[in-house]
Amino acid sequence: MSILYTTAVCCLCARMVSPAIALAFIPLLLTVLIRYRYFFVLFYRSALVRIWKDCTTGLSREERAFQYVLTHSTPGDPDSILDAFDFWCSKVEFISNIGPKKGKILDRLLMEQSPLTVLELGAHCGYSTVRIARALPLGARLYSIEMDQRNAAITEKIVRLAGFDDNTVELIVNPSDEVIPRLRTDYNLERLDFVFMDHWKKCYLPDLQLLEGSGLLGKGSMVLADNVLFPGAPKFLRYLRKCGLYEWKIHRATLEYSTGIKDGMAELIYQGIK
Amino acid sequence: MPQDSLIPSENDTDIELDFTGDDFQEGHEKKKHRGKRKETDREKERRKNSRRKKSSSSTDRGNEFQPRQKKTESGRRRSAKEEQEAKEGERGDGDRGQPTRSKTAKTKKNIKNEKTKKIDTAEEREAGERNEKGKKKRGGAKREKKDGRKHVAKKKTQEKKKKKHKKVVESSSEQETSEEDDDEENANDDEEVRPESLSPEELEKLKEAVDEKKKLIQSLRGKPWPMKKKLVTLRESQEFVEKYEGALGKGKGRKLYAYKVLMTKRWMKFQRDFENFKTACIPWEMKIKEIESHFGSSVASYFIFLRWMYGINMILFGLTFGLVMVPEALMGRPYGTIPRKTVPRAEEASAMDFAVLWDFKGYAQYSVLFYGYYNNQRAVGWLKFRMPLSYFLVGVGTVAYSYMVVIRTMARNANESGVGDDNSFNFSWKMFTSWDYLIGNPETADNKFASITTSFKEAILEEQESRKDDNIHLTRFLRVLANFLVLCCLAGSGYLIYFVVRRSQKFTLDGLENHTWWERNEVNMVMSLLGMFCPMLFDVISTLENYHPRVALQWQLGRIFALFLGNLYTFIIALMDEINLKREEEKIVKFNITTWEASLFNGTVSGNVTAPPVTIHPADVPRGPCWETMVGQEFVRLIISDTMTTYITLLIGDFLRAVLVRFLNYCWCWDLEAGFPSYSEFDVSGNVLGLIFNQGMIWMGAFYAPCLPALNVLRLHVSMYLQCWAVMCCNVPQERVFKASGSNNFYMAMLLVILFLSTLPAIYTIVTIPPSFDCGPFSGKNRMFDVIQETLESDFPAWFSKVFSYASNPGLVLPFILLMVLAIYYLQSTSKSYKEANVELKKKLQMVIQKLL
Repeated sequence: MSILYTTAVCCLCARMVSPAIALAFIPLLLTVLIRYRYFFVLFYRSALVRIWKDCTTGLSREERAFQYVLTHSTPGDPDSILDAFDFWCSKVEFISNIGPKKGKILDRLLMEQSPLTVLELGAHCGYSTVRIARALPLGARLYSIEMDQRNAAITEKIVRLAGFDDNTVELIVNPSDEVIPRLRTDYNLERLDFVFMDHWKKCYLPDLQLLEGSGLLGKGSMVLADNVLFPGAPKFLRYLRKCGLYEWKIHRATLEYSTGIKDGMAELIYQGIK
Repeated sequence: MPQDSLIPSENDTDIELDFTGDDFQEGHEKKKHRGKRKETDREKERRKNSRRKKSSSSTDRGNEFQPRQKKTESGRRRSAKEEQEAKEGERGDGDRGQPTRSKTAKTKKNIKNEKTKKIDTAEEREAGERNEKGKKKRGGAKREKKDGRKHVAKKKTQEKKKKKHKKVVESSSEQETSEEDDDEENANDDEEVRPESLSPEELEKLKEAVDEKKKLIQSLRGKPWPMKKKLVTLRESQEFVEKYEGALGKGKGRKLYAYKVLMTKRWMKFQRDFENFKTACIPWEMKIKEIESHFGSSVASYFIFLRWMYGINMILFGLTFGLVMVPEALMGRPYGTIPRKTVPRAEEASAMDFAVLWDFKGYAQYSVLFYGYYNNQRAVGWLKFRMPLSYFLVGVGTVAYSYMVVIRTMARNANESGVGDDNSFNFSWKMFTSWDYLIGNPETADNKFASITTSFKEAILEEQESRKDDNIHLTRFLRVLANFLVLCCLAGSGYLIYFVVRRSQKFTLDGLENHTWWERNEVNMVMSLLGMFCPMLFDVISTLENYHPRVALQWQLGRIFALFLGNLYTFIIALMDEINLKREEEKIVKFNITTWEASLFNGTVSGNVTAPPVTIHPADVPRGPCWETMVGQEFVRLIISDTMTTYITLLIGDFLRAVLVRFLNYCWCWDLEAGFPSYSEFDVSGNVLGLIFNQGMIWMGAFYAPCLPALNVLRLHVSMYLQCWAVMCCNVPQERVFKASGSNNFYMAMLLVILFLSTLPAIYTIVTIPPSFDCGPFSGKNRMFDVIQETLESDFPAWFSKVFSYASNPGLVLPFILLMVLAIYYLQSTSKSYKEANVELKKKLQMVIQKLL
């Protein structure tokens, strides 16, 4: 019955659009497949595999990553934790951490700047937190903001696993737009030397404006925003072009754990109002 | 100073004042038009000015000044004129004897003013003084006239004295004018007045000063001064020379000088305007420049090519329209007189359907648009226009003209392209010549900047790799692989078209009415779709090869060229098959017609002998299939479907995509503009080739459908505007912007190849296939070119045809061709030796330079 039905459909198709015309669309299909292969791979790894694993294991993606890191790294050694993360994200599943390539840029900037107070927006599952904390000078402090409760718990564990205590890393579990205005009062902050943004791309611009408004940015403070090209923060970039408060440039690189998708990090140095 | 000599001058001042009052009022009115709100300010200023004058100069002068002020303010009240005159007269009495003194004082003051350069006060004063000065100058001119009239009878001595007095007055006015120089009108006035104002000694001095300044300007470069001082002196002395050079000649020379200055200014302005006008006259120049500034010269080169194409098509259109279509429409037999000019009975019902617009059947088929409509009448109308001959010659002429233009342009371009070698100074070339100075858009400049940096990086990497040279095998392998894939694609598309054409032949045998619209238009659809999608695939494949974009563009062009050529030739082969079918059909029809005519004749004969010959409506007469019109129709349909595909692709692929990306970006989870779909880039290679092949089809089909050039002109015109708009509105600059200075000749070479390849089938059909027996200008002849022989025999004197027959004798033609071949060979070998000599000379030059270094 079903075979009959399919043949009928095929005949109908053939009557409506001749098969030769349909065949002429094959080059288009191939073109799209080849040109956007990285996006299809990314979609497969970050969405399809994730849904499948969520169903089979019953754990969230971050928890699975944590399990892997816990079993495959040496406690107290940030490098090995980062390596384990990198391996899991590139080979097993996909989590949008900052990744090793862009991470190197981050390390270099931190080394050059050697900031004393660092704010991180969006800790996710602790990869970038460990990365920043690793590169900080003695006596520096990192404030890490994460909105999600479960992710924050994992971040906490990862940071502790890497051997950083409360004096170095302070985890704040709240949405960034609530925390930033209270930073000065609640945490006695005078000035932020370095801000790393890697949370919701839509929040880049409002949070940057909040930071400007709170007066925590001084002359020479650096803001580093990840993923400004993909998934991308067009409004943020447009604002940067217009406002003139910053000296800025984009470090072009590829998306983390992927070779073909272009991405970039925006490096902003606050100049203040001239 | 004697009293009597002063009286008339004072009287004059009265009259002068009246005049100035009026004049000033007029001037004032004019200024009012310019800025009404400034009026009150000026009034105030003037008052202030007068106050200052009062305090600074002598009180007498101040007294004189104030009433004048009043008068100018109330200049329009003419009724009060007499009263004022009376007043003035009184004052004049009081002031008598003073004016000269006051004026000299004023001169001194003016000089002092010049020296003390306090700009703020000077400006203020100037505004006030200009009014006053205008008065005075006009007054001066008037005074001269009056003097001349009144004192003709006076003694010479008196005159002398007066002159002296005048001189003083006028020198003062001159000093004033030296303050302001922008007002040309005043300057001209001045020029008239000045000649007699300077004494010979003064003139001499001035001359010397001017000469000195000139010398200074010349020798300024060698002076050991700081730059700032040099600049200041230069400016000052130039101003001085400009101001006083005119004063050196006598009256006429001065006038001439002013005139010359004025004319040079006007001339320069005119030249500038003319340049602008010339640019505005070049069609679409501004549009193309704008695109060039946004997208770089490679995209602009496409539009320039399009414009060039448009020009050629205009000429082709002019030829076919003026020499074929219009004569036939005006002077040939009108529609409906003979069978070939009438819609047959069977088609009459659907002859005015809307589908005629794209099918070109019905009335469109039986019109001047197609070959079949033309009559084989040797000469039409009162002009005795040789229609068939003209048709043939226009067909040959368009092709010949195209060859000529293309080859000439190629030769010109070849001269322009430099002979620089790209390999030896790679980094220097990149360093100094990679910027495209026509870019005017920040985003494009960004892209260009990025591309230059990447090209530097790549060049450095390449340099390293060429030293290592281990990866060369991989690159080679990838390039071979890419070409293999492309070949597969080509074969696939060729087979698909072949398959479709075979199928369509089957459909035509079945009868087209049994099939759907899709199946009927399958060939065109498949060809357009393949022509659209395969280049995309090639583009993707070519990323494997990792060529420089300019080289990649050429490869891409070559591949698309092969694809289109394959498609076109498959189409032509299919057409040839169809032509053969039609000719078979024609034979049967011809036989049938003879029997039909015979039966008709027999019928009439058997009826009654004396009856008039039976008149049959031309629509009812049976007729042959007329393969020429069929070929023309096929080409027209192809052009139309091609145009439609292009426009629809533009609207969907570019515009719709841009709209979606733009507006969905507000509510999407990633950045659509920078990331995945993004805006489309302008596809230079595809568009250029589309244009070239379109032109090829025009050349091929124009002989059988004279309307084709007209259609093409229309298409190019529309696509110029549409594509300009689409590029500016929905495309983004290419990621790797590159200069396309060398690619123009590449386009031309391809155009030449296409021209050759498209004239081949046309010439083949003209030469080998006999024309249809009952349609077209050559009906009844054995071959189409017989028309020339016919003309030679009947329209030219006998000796001419004799000469022609001798000339066309193989015994004469063959040696001529041999001679030509020899000449070509000789020219080529000489050009080769010249080229070698050039290379040698270049080497020598390099050697010399190295030695020098």
